[in-house]
Amino acid sequence: MSNADELLRIEGIRKTFPGVVALDSVDFDLRRGEVHVLLGENGAGKSTLIKMLSGAYRPDAGRILAGGEEVRIHGAQDSERLGIATIYQEFNLVPDLTVAENIFLGRQPRRFGVIDRKRMEADAAVLLERVGVNVSPRARVRELGIARLQMVEIAKALSLDARVLIMDEPTAVLTSEEVDKLFAIVRRLREDGVGIVFITHHLEEIAALGDRVTVIRDGRSVGQVPASTPQDELVRLMVGRSIEQQYPRERAEAGAALLSVEGLTRDGVFHEVSFEVRAGEVVGIAGLVGAGRTEVVRAVFGADPYDRGTVRVSGAPLPRHDVNAAMAAGIGLVPEDRKGQGLVLDQSVEENLGLVTMRAATRGGLVDLKGQRAAAARMAGQLGVRMAGLGQQVRTLSGGNQQKVVIGKWLLADTKVLILDEPTRGIDVGAKVEIYQLVNELTAAGAAVLMISSDLPEVLGMSDRVLVMAQGRIAGELPAEQATQDAVMALAVSAPATPRTTPTTTEVEAGRGR
Amino acid sequence: MAADTHPSTTGAGGGAAALRRLLLDNGALTALIVLVIAMSALSGDFLTTDNLLNVGVQAAVTAILAFGVTFVIVSAGIDLSVGSVAALSATVLAWSATQHGVPVVLALVLAVATGIGAGLVNGFLIAYGKLPPFIATLAMLSVGRGLSLVISEGSPIAFPDSVSHLGDTLGGWLPVPVLVMIVMGLIAAFVLGRTYIGRSMYAIGGNEEAARLSGLRVKRQKLAIYALSGVFAAAAGIVLASRLSSAQPQAADGYELDAIAAVVIGGASLAGGTGKASGTLVGALILAVLRNGLNLLSVSAFWQQVVIGVVIALAVLLDTLRRKAGATPVTAGAGGGKGRQAATYGLAAVVTVAVVGATSFLHGGNSPSANPRIGLALSTLNNPFFVQIQSGAKAEAKKLGVDLTVTDAQNDASQQANQLQNFTSSGYDSIIVNPVDSDAAGNSVKAADKAKIPVIAVDRGVNKATVDALVASDNVAGGELAAKTVAEKLGGAGRIVILQGQAGTSAARERAEGFAMGLKAYPGIKVVAQQPADFDRTKGLDVMSNLLQAHPDVQGVIAANDEMALGAIKALGAKAGKSVQVVGFDGTPDGLKAVEQGTLYASVAQQPSQLGKIAVDNALKALRGEKVEETVKVPVKVVTEANVAGFNG
Repeated sequence: MSNADELLRIEGIRKTFPGVVALDSVDFDLRRGEVHVLLGENGAGKSTLIKMLSGAYRPDAGRILAGGEEVRIHGAQDSERLGIATIYQEFNLVPDLTVAENIFLGRQPRRFGVIDRKRMEADAAVLLERVGVNVSPRARVRELGIARLQMVEIAKALSLDARVLIMDEPTAVLTSEEVDKLFAIVRRLREDGVGIVFITHHLEEIAALGDRVTVIRDGRSVGQVPASTPQDELVRLMVGRSIEQQYPRERAEAGAALLSVEGLTRDGVFHEVSFEVRAGEVVGIAGLVGAGRTEVVRAVFGADPYDRGTVRVSGAPLPRHDVNAAMAAGIGLVPEDRKGQGLVLDQSVEENLGLVTMRAATRGGLVDLKGQRAAAARMAGQLGVRMAGLGQQVRTLSGGNQQKVVIGKWLLADTKVLILDEPTRGIDVGAKVEIYQLVNELTAAGAAVLMISSDLPEVLGMSDRVLVMAQGRIAGELPAEQATQDAVMALAVSAPATPRTTPTTTEVEAGRGR
Repeated sequence: MAADTHPSTTGAGGGAAALRRLLLDNGALTALIVLVIAMSALSGDFLTTDNLLNVGVQAAVTAILAFGVTFVIVSAGIDLSVGSVAALSATVLAWSATQHGVPVVLALVLAVATGIGAGLVNGFLIAYGKLPPFIATLAMLSVGRGLSLVISEGSPIAFPDSVSHLGDTLGGWLPVPVLVMIVMGLIAAFVLGRTYIGRSMYAIGGNEEAARLSGLRVKRQKLAIYALSGVFAAAAGIVLASRLSSAQPQAADGYELDAIAAVVIGGASLAGGTGKASGTLVGALILAVLRNGLNLLSVSAFWQQVVIGVVIALAVLLDTLRRKAGATPVTAGAGGGKGRQAATYGLAAVVTVAVVGATSFLHGGNSPSANPRIGLALSTLNNPFFVQIQSGAKAEAKKLGVDLTVTDAQNDASQQANQLQNFTSSGYDSIIVNPVDSDAAGNSVKAADKAKIPVIAVDRGVNKATVDALVASDNVAGGELAAKTVAEKLGGAGRIVILQGQAGTSAARERAEGFAMGLKAYPGIKVVAQQPADFDRTKGLDVMSNLLQAHPDVQGVIAANDEMALGAIKALGAKAGKSVQVVGFDGTPDGLKAVEQGTLYASVAQQPSQLGKIAVDNALKALRGEKVEETVKVPVKVVTEANVAGFNG
C-alpha cells in the first residue's frame, strides 16, 4: 500500500461527542502535489476531521499515517513536526504585531537573545514574495484586510515548511478577484509538491482547482470522486438526494407597503437611501462589500443611529436608534454575524428561541418558562432544527441549524418585516433550500422580507426586486425579470452621483457572483 | 442554566445515579464534601451541631455578598465595591439610628437605599459612561470606604439593639444570620431562574450584542443588576454589623475578593453567561469550612492563608477538569471518557490527601492531652508588636505546660468574632483576646462568658461584656509621655506633625487622645498637620514625604507607633535625629535599633512580650479559679539612646 507520493492516510477514524457521533469510519488520503477537496454539508464532520489532523482533537478509533507510518497527533507541536499546517476560517494572528512578527511568532530569529528584526523582516519579505502579496513585513496586522490576512497565514504556513496545507473554507470571505489570486497561489504550491486539503461550499471552485474530492455525509465518507464530477452528482452525494431547484421562490401577491424608508442618511456612511418593501415581497439588496448595505439595515432596525431621513412601518414613523420601537412595530433582524450578534452560543436552543419573546412572556417580573418552552418546542419542530433536544447548546449546532434558530426567534415574535443579512453565508446547500422555503412561507403569510446577500445567484434567484447599492447610495433598482448578473454588477461598480475618489483600501472588491 | 431544567431521573436505582450525577455535575459540591469529611476526620470538634451552625454563621456574610456578585458575574461584569458598600450601608444605618434618632425602620430603609444608590452609580458608570466594570467598581470601592469613614468619623458606631437581633439566635440555637443567608440565597436563585431580569443576565453575559439586537434593554438591565448587587451588599453589611453590635467603617475590608472567589468556586465563569446561586452558596461554605477547620486544628495563622489559597485554586481546577471530562463521550461509552473521569476522581483523591496531609502536618503536636487549652485571638500578626505578644505568650505557655492556639484576625473584627466563636464552641479552657475593636468583640466575649470560659483581654479592652482581666499598657498615658518627650527635646517651642494610627482602632484613638493631652502643657508647640498612616511603615513614608512638601520646616514628629516613625525617618533622610526629632510608640526591635542609631529620638516602649506572658499567667490563674486582678497594667517607658542598652521588650 505504501506509495512514495502519499503524504497522509486516514483509516477508519471515529470520534464522538456527548450525544453525537461526529465521525465514523472515515477514510481519506492525500498525495504530494494535489488539491484534495473535502466536501460536505455543515455539520457533516469536515471540521472535526481537520481538527484531528491539527491536533485539536484525538480520534477515538482508527489510525492516521504520515509517509506510511502510523502517527499520533496529540497537539499542535505534533502536527507542526509532521509538516501539517492549518488555516482556519478564524485567523490565528495577533492584531497588534507586525506581519513579520506574526509569521515567525514564537520562532523569531534571535541574536544575542535579542530579536533580530532585520533578518526576520528580510525572511518574511521572501515568503510574502513567494505568496505573491504586496504587503510590508512591518505593517501591523490590524491594518490589513481579510484577503491579506489570509495571505499572511499562508506565508506563515510556508515558513513552517508545511508539506500538508489544510484550508478551511478559505474563499468564504473573499471577493472573486481575491479568490483568483488565492487560486494562483494554491496552484503554485501544488507545483512545489505541497499536498492541499481544501474545504469549500462552492461547487464551481472544485472543478476550477481540485484534483480529487472526498464527500462526507453525516460523519461518514460516502465517496471519493474526481474533481471533474458534474455538480449535480456532487450535490447528490453530499445531500443524499438530488436537489431539484436551488432557488424555489414562490412569488406571493404584493400588498401594501409595510416598510418605507425615505432619504436615510448617515454622514460618511450612506446617503439618501429610499426604498419600500411591500407585504408578500422579497426585496434583495446587492452590492459590493463595503457599499453600506449592512449599515443601512442596521439603522432601519434601530441598532445604529442615522442623521437624516425617516423609517415608517405601515405608515407610522419609527424613532431613530431604538431597537425596541422597531421590534414593537414588527421589524426583525437576522444579523450578518450569526455567532457574534445573533446567538448566545453557550445557551440552549430553548433560551435562544425565546430571547425576543421573553419580555412579552413576563408577568410581574416573572418569565412564563413553561409557555416559553412550549413555544420553543413548537418552533424547533416547525423549522426542523436538528438537535439532541431543546437543552442543547447552540454552539454545538451546525451553521444551518443555528441560522434556523436565529430566524425562529423572530418568527415567534410575529415579525412582519424580516431583515435577513447574509442569511445563508457558510450554510450548506440542503439547509439553504430550507431557509428559502421559510422565506416563501413568510411572504405567503403576508410578511415582507428584506434580504442582503453577497451571493449574486441567491439575490437574483430569491428576490422579487433587487436594489443595488454602491458607495453608500442606491445605485438602481431592478425588477426580477431584468435582474441579471451583468446588470447588477454594472450598477454595483457604477460611480456615485457625487464625484469622489475611489476607495483606497482594496481596489475593487467584486461580488461573490461566480 | 437554571436548576429546574434538569430532567428528573426515574426508574430503579435512580436515587444513586442522580446523586452520582449531581456530584459529577457540581465539582464544588464534591470539593465541599471532601473537605467536610477531611475536617471531621482530623478534628473531633468539627462535626457538632454547634460548630456546623458556626460555619453557617461565618459563611453568611460572604455568601450574601457573593449572591449579589453572582448576578454581576453572570452578566459578564465584576463588582469590587461590595465590601465597601456593605460597610457604608451599615454605617449609614447606625449613624442615622444611633446618632441622629432616626426611627430604626427608616434607618433600615436608608441603609438599603444606600446600597441601591451605590449600585446605581456603578451601573450608570458602566452602562452609560462606558467605564469597564473593573474600574467603575474599583472607584466605588474607594468612595464607599471613604464615605463610611467620613460619616463615622473613623470610629465604630453602636448598632441599634433592635437590629442587632439579626446577629442573635432564634430559640437559643438557630442563628439568624444563617436564616438570612438562606432567604437571600432563595431570592437569588429565584431571581436568576425565574425572573425576566435573571434570564436577561444570562443572555447579556453570554452575548451582549445578540441580547441587544433581540430587544433586551441592556443598559437598563445593567443598572438594575448592579443595583441588585448593592441591595445584597447592604444586607450583608447589616448582618455583619448586627453580629458585632457595631457598625465599623473598616468592616468587610477585602470581602469582595472572598465573594468573587465563592462565585467562581461555585462554577461561574468570569467571562459571563454561567453561574448558579446554589454553586455560590457551596463556594462560600467551602471558604467558611476551611477557615473554621483550620482554626480548630490550630494551624499556624500564616499557613492558613497558604492553605486557603491552595484550596481555592484546587477547587476551581477540579471543576475545570470535570467540565473537560464532561465534554467527552457519554453515549457511546468509549474508553476515553472513563479515562478522564478516572483522572477527575484521581485529582479529587490527590486534593483530599493534600488537604488532610497538610493540615495534619501543620497542626502537628496537638494530640489530645490533659494540658489546659488556651486560645489567643490576636488582632493581627502583620506588626512586630503583636508578634512579640505572641512569642511572649508562647514561651510562657511552653514553660507552664499549656496548649496555646494562636489565631490572626488580620485586623478584621468579624473574622475575629468567628475565631472567638470557634474557641468557645470547641470548649477551650480559657481565651485571651486582643480585640480588633473593643466594641465589636463584645458579643463574642459575652458568648464565652455564657459558656463559663474565662476571658482575658490583652492590650485593648472589651466593651459591653465582662472580662476576667485586662492586661494592657496605658495608651493614653503613653501618648502623654510621647508628647512630653518631644516637647521637652524641642525646648517647649517648635512645629511638629503627628502621624495617627489606623482610623477606627482604639489604639489610634487613645494614643491621639494622649498626644493632645500631653501637648496642652506646651503652648509653644504648634501641630502643623495630623494625618493617618494606618500604623504602616510604607504609608508612614508616603504621608511624611507629602507633609514635608507642605511643611519643610517641621522640627518634630510624633508617630502613634514605631512602624510609622520608621517610615517617617526614611522620608526625612539625613534630617532625622538632627534637625527633626522623631518619637515613636511601642518599642519594637526595629524601633529600638533606630533609637540606638540615633535616628529615632525616643520610643514609648510597651513591653509586648511581657503583655503576652502576663496574659497567659492570668488566663491560667482564672481557669484554675484563682483570683485575678481586674486590670493588670504593664508599665510603659520612654526609651532613648541613654537607656536603650538595658531595655528589651
